[in-house]
Parts: sequence; structure tokens; C-alpha cells
Amino acid sequence: MELISVTARLNRSTLQFEDAAFQRLQAYLAEARGTLAGNPDQDEIVADLEQAVADQCTRRLPPGQLVVSLAVLQPALDEIGSVQVPGPAPAASGSAYAQPGRETSRPLQQVSEGALIGGVCTGLARYMGVNVWLVRIAAVLLLFATSGGLVPIYLVLMLLLPYAPRTGGNAQVRWLPGKFRDWNEFLRSKLSTTAS
Amino acid sequence: MVVESKLAPIRKGLLEYLVLKIVGVRSAYVPDILRRLAGTEFATQEGTLYPLLSKLRREDLVLYEWQESDMGPPRKYYRLTEAGKAQLAALDDYWTLINRTVADIGH
Repeated sequence: MELISVTARLNRSTLQFEDAAFQRLQAYLAEARGTLAGNPDQDEIVADLEQAVADQCTRRLPPGQLVVSLAVLQPALDEIGSVQVPGPAPAASGSAYAQPGRETSRPLQQVSEGALIGGVCTGLARYMGVNVWLVRIAAVLLLFATSGGLVPIYLVLMLLLPYAPRTGGNAQVRWLPGKFRDWNEFLRSKLSTTAS
Repeated sequence: MVVESKLAPIRKGLLEYLVLKIVGVRSAYVPDILRRLAGTEFATQEGTLYPLLSKLRREDLVLYEWQESDMGPPRKYYRLTEAGKAQLAALDDYWTLINRTVADIGH
């Protein structure tokens, strides 16, 4: 049996790929993810790149050809280029984001983009420069270890940690009751007036 | 080439400034920005530009809006925020300053 083609969804487009081209594309995207490991915008940048690949391939497909071959994909990937981390030349190899002490200190904030509940874990992950799932797994383990004692702590953090500025795009907060952000802002404004 | 290895970091450092300048003129989507830079010393690729734009967005210097396109999926149009405009003005001033210094020194 032979694989004829693979249908892949690239961000907002759907394209068919020959097996070899699909493998090449997967390798390209995996490398991009690796370079961007620890970058809070990793998912969004990869989605942008997927869209760029889809647009390029669509433009490059010869008339009448429906399936993207390696001959179509490779020049497209060459034009898009490998992912470069912005800013001054990154040190050595590996992820430029995972190196401790490299980034200037970031405030501890809630990050709504990519959040599952309130954005406390995404915020902590950004603060510590680690993958958000590491924080989430640790949080779940702690939840059991403290037999639920983490819940009030989480709620307090959710109510008191300031929010990182919203940056548009995928700002989906899936579980957060809409009022929480208002309560948070109200409580912190009260606290700052009593403190001063 | 030895000189080239010293020029590359200068270009890399200035790319952010130029991207701010480009989206400062009018809102632009990535192929617009690439076209504007193509043929200059700062010609670049999507693989470089998307991470840079994400960084600028997180720093609250640019933001984007989705705009429908006649062909293909909607596009992200980037433009400067107020903070982005302020930073661009500061960078313009600094660029003028260092240009003067570079021209003056050694005479």
C-alpha cells in the first residue's frame, strides 16, 4: 500500500500534499517550533508560517495540479526562510528563549492569550520562561498534593495579579467568567488606594 | 568575508526600526513589508518577520487587524500603537544623532 497524498489544514487553508512534501513540511514546522520554544507567541508565529506556506504553495501550484509536490514546496520554504529569533544575534544554538537570565526581567502578570482558565499559568510560565504545560502539570500535581488547597490560592492570584496588556489576536479566555477581569481591576484599584 | 560578518549584526539590529518605519507610514501586511524591504540591504523573509512582529506586538508597539481579501483568507494588517509611534520618534531622533556622531568623529 502506498500513501498517495495527505490533506493538511494549514491555519485557515486546506491543501493536499504528496507524502514526501508532507514529511518535509512537518520537519520545517517542527524546526520552527524548536527555535521558538519558550516564546509566548510560538503558536501564533507557527500559525502565521503555516498560512505563509499555504499561500506560497497555492500561488506556486502549476495549473491543473492539485497536490503539492516537493518541487512546489521546497522553493516556497526557501522563500519563507527558517525562523529567526528577533533582536541581537542569539547566543549559541538551541532555543534563544529558554536560556535563563537572557531575557530582561518580566513582571508577573496574567496572560489571557492561550489561557485555559484565567491566565495565571500562562503568566507564570512567561515569568519563569518555561513551557506553560510544565506549569499546568505542576499546578495539577500541587492541587492533589494540597487536596484542593491550591484552589483558593489560584483564585486569589486570579483576582489580584495584574493583566498583561491585551495584544489582540488569539485572546481567548475559555473558562474565565467575564466579570473576573472587572473584579480584578476593582480590587486592585481599592488596594492601591488603601495602600497610598 | 570578514567585513560582512560585522555588517550582519548591524542590519539585524536595524531591521526592527525599519519595520516600525514601514508600518508607521500606513498599515501593512507581511507581503507589503517584505516587498518594501526587497532589493535593499534589509531584504528579509517571513521566517524572520513573523517572530519580529509578534515581539513588537507583545511589546505593545504594533497591533494588527484582520482584513478580508479578495483572494484567499483574511490578512493581518499591522499598524503602530501610540507607544509604537512614540518609540519610532525616539528611534528617529537617535538615528539622526548617531549619524551626526559617525560623520563628525575622525575628522
